[in-house]
Amino acid sequence: MSRCRIVGLPTRVFYDKLGAVMRILTVFLCILSSFLLMNCGDGKNSAQSFAEQKILLLGNNSEPQSLDPHKATAVADGKIISCLLEGMVRPDPEQDGNVLPGMAARWEHNEAADEWTFYLREEACWSDGTPVTAEDFVYAYQRLLHPQFGGRYAEMLYPIQGAEAFNKGHAEWEAVGVQAMDAHTLRLQLNGPTPHLLQLMLHFTWFPLPRHHVEANGGMFDRRSHWAAAEHWVGNGAYIADEHRLNNYLSVRKNPHYYRVAEVKNEGIRFLPIVNGYTETRMYLGGKLHISNNVPPEMIAYAKQEAPQDFCREPYYCTIFYRLNTTRKPLNDVRVRKALSLAIDRETLVSKVVRGAGTPTFSFTPSGAGYKATGPSGIAPTQAERENEARQLLAEAGYAEGKGFPTLVLMTTSRDVQRIMAETIQAMWAEKLGVHVEIRSCEWTAYKAAQQSMDYDISSSSWSGDYLDAATFVELWRSGGGNNCTGWSHEDFDRATETAATTGDAQQRSSLLQQAEQLMLSCHPIIPLYHSERTYLRSSAHIRGRQPRLLDNFPLDAIEVVP
Amino acid sequence: MKKIQFQQGNSLWKDARQRLYRNKAAMAALFFLVFMVLACFLLPLFPFIENPNATNLDNIAAPCSWEHPFGTDQLGRDLLARVLYGGRISLLVGLVATLVALMIGLLYGLISGYIGGKTDALMMRTVDVLFALPFIVLVIVFSLSIEEPSRELTESVITWTGWSRESVAPILGLVPLFIAIGALGWLTLARIVRTQTMEIKSLEYVQAARSLGLGHLRILFKHIAPNLLGTVVVYTTLAVPGIMLTESTLSFIGLGVKAPNSSWGTLIKEGADRMEVSPELLIFPSLFFCLTLLALNFLGDGLRDAIDPKTAKD
Repeated sequence: MSRCRIVGLPTRVFYDKLGAVMRILTVFLCILSSFLLMNCGDGKNSAQSFAEQKILLLGNNSEPQSLDPHKATAVADGKIISCLLEGMVRPDPEQDGNVLPGMAARWEHNEAADEWTFYLREEACWSDGTPVTAEDFVYAYQRLLHPQFGGRYAEMLYPIQGAEAFNKGHAEWEAVGVQAMDAHTLRLQLNGPTPHLLQLMLHFTWFPLPRHHVEANGGMFDRRSHWAAAEHWVGNGAYIADEHRLNNYLSVRKNPHYYRVAEVKNEGIRFLPIVNGYTETRMYLGGKLHISNNVPPEMIAYAKQEAPQDFCREPYYCTIFYRLNTTRKPLNDVRVRKALSLAIDRETLVSKVVRGAGTPTFSFTPSGAGYKATGPSGIAPTQAERENEARQLLAEAGYAEGKGFPTLVLMTTSRDVQRIMAETIQAMWAEKLGVHVEIRSCEWTAYKAAQQSMDYDISSSSWSGDYLDAATFVELWRSGGGNNCTGWSHEDFDRATETAATTGDAQQRSSLLQQAEQLMLSCHPIIPLYHSERTYLRSSAHIRGRQPRLLDNFPLDAIEVVP
Repeated sequence: MKKIQFQQGNSLWKDARQRLYRNKAAMAALFFLVFMVLACFLLPLFPFIENPNATNLDNIAAPCSWEHPFGTDQLGRDLLARVLYGGRISLLVGLVATLVALMIGLLYGLISGYIGGKTDALMMRTVDVLFALPFIVLVIVFSLSIEEPSRELTESVITWTGWSRESVAPILGLVPLFIAIGALGWLTLARIVRTQTMEIKSLEYVQAARSLGLGHLRILFKHIAPNLLGTVVVYTTLAVPGIMLTESTLSFIGLGVKAPNSSWGTLIKEGADRMEVSPELLIFPSLFFCLTLLALNFLGDGLRDAIDPKTAKD
């Protein structure tokens, strides 16, 4: 009977087996191809072909929130804005901390350094050909400070006389010390002697706005205005925005109306928003980038081995810390906050998790720029003693061995380093104090929003200096500061920083800032963890002229791209 | 006298079982799945499996050894333990959420298809509307809105029962996910079941049953539902992998499994990042994940062949 079957015709069993084999093959092929795909491209990699067009490919951490300098707060946005707009002065590519004339051809100040006059260069114009005037600066400062606009970074302009009062709605604009003497002269009256004003002015909050363009697109207070959209960008910087592809890239090209256009060393830049440092490093090694933003600690050894010439490690004016929401129970108890801080073994954290790319710290402001960081007093020298003290403090607060302590939420961004760090600290707290926290990793914009509205318990944060001066760190903690976000405030602290801002004596200023910081640290609204370093990759084959910067603000127009 | 031997009649299920037993691939898959479930749920009870969340910063990313058969991860945690505990969560999500979806989808489709007419039109348009909404977004909104009550539930379970937080929190924390995925993942199944029901209810034996005066419920569950099983089983085995993937997507954006707990999805994500540095972190979890999905597929095929006589007969 078995002969009934026609010989040679495949049977169902055969099909079944074939199906099984095919399925296994498919799985293997998928795995294999995913491995292969990582290493193949279009023959010539993009780093090479873009280098031939003299276009710089730059890893830029996150998708820009906005190109409007009054709405942006992230470092990634600042990098792009500093290419598109230029203030009175610009950073010197040769020497860190030095400034060169930008929109201002020259400037002068009185002896006390509290009244400054800037003389704009006559030839400067916006990318649509309109000349840049002193009014454009006045317009920009008025917009950022205006209470109706609600700029997050308004306090950057507080050194200007009357600026704080105007921003808080207590004074009229006429009382603010910004004045256009004529079309090319701007006078600034300051609260007190500010010899480091030019350093501050390198930050994008001090840049002018194309008044005619903003007015044509909804006016000063329109927060939804499209004036800053890449498609019809008008700016006065070395570049104009070209094309913005969401989550892909933002490209800029040389601005033909820029007064120094002949000195711009490359034709354009592509900013690639790559949040994941592992992906970025992989892309760099695959020839997709000229300069990467960050090599995660775990990849350092690998990156060094794969691209020893390209690996860079530089000091950075930056502190990694945890914000504590001091308005919520039980974090409103200073003993609890101190206990949480003491229980973290920073040495282990830095050596094992950050792989040495940083310095453990108990203070917030990094040393440097004429400031000597002094840690808070009374911190025990060994970790074991600190842990004992932490346990005692927690018991005093009524949570002996973590009993009855509510489960707090530790909020982090989705950045890899922050996540590993959070898991380490979560384990340390559980082991040393019996305190359990839950980690919630948020996407960047959600994280920012939650932090600004204080909708968090503990927030994994970092702060990098806006200018080379200790005040950029210390003044963060003034009451009601836009980036304070901890609910902590102290009258003595506010008074000390205010006096520091108006005193002319550098010595006294520094010691006042130190006192203020000591006071803040003794109240523990934050848990300082470490001062970080920058680890990144830079193509030694294609990039010339880039130098290390404490603020990571090297002028990108001075970077030469060679094929 | 010649003895006449009657072959005993086989029931539908006995036939199906026998056909399944003969299918080697499906049986191997079944054994593998049973083994996987036992390994994930029973092995961690033994002391030689370490605490999956115990960090050891002196032993980071260690290679495979006797002490740590799969090596350790970026925080010095034992990878074997993490894979097993992660498997618990992945399998639980896959099975429980699929079951929830199955129950809703089956009932909805059966009722809609059986009643027909205006009720059917209304029910199916409702499904159309739900289909038009993006699944992931709905799951996110849904699971966020029931997150707070579920956290309270976790806390009260811990205080009432006195069980340790480590054993309770990872699983109870997933309740929103179970409910959200299950409550929104039944749409396709409802459609399939409805079509099949409409087809079957017009067959002669159903009409016969009706003319014998059987009740609606009896017809539905005794005469129609069993004949849907082939389709439903295939769909289910294919849906489980999809749901396990949804879970890893949600965990990635911070809504599913909370660190330090892990599922296979999060382990693979972490491993993929560190692919060059320590490949074990990617290889082991993905091996477990792929084999499980493959086994589910084989088993699904086998069950279809076994239960659905039309496609199974040569």
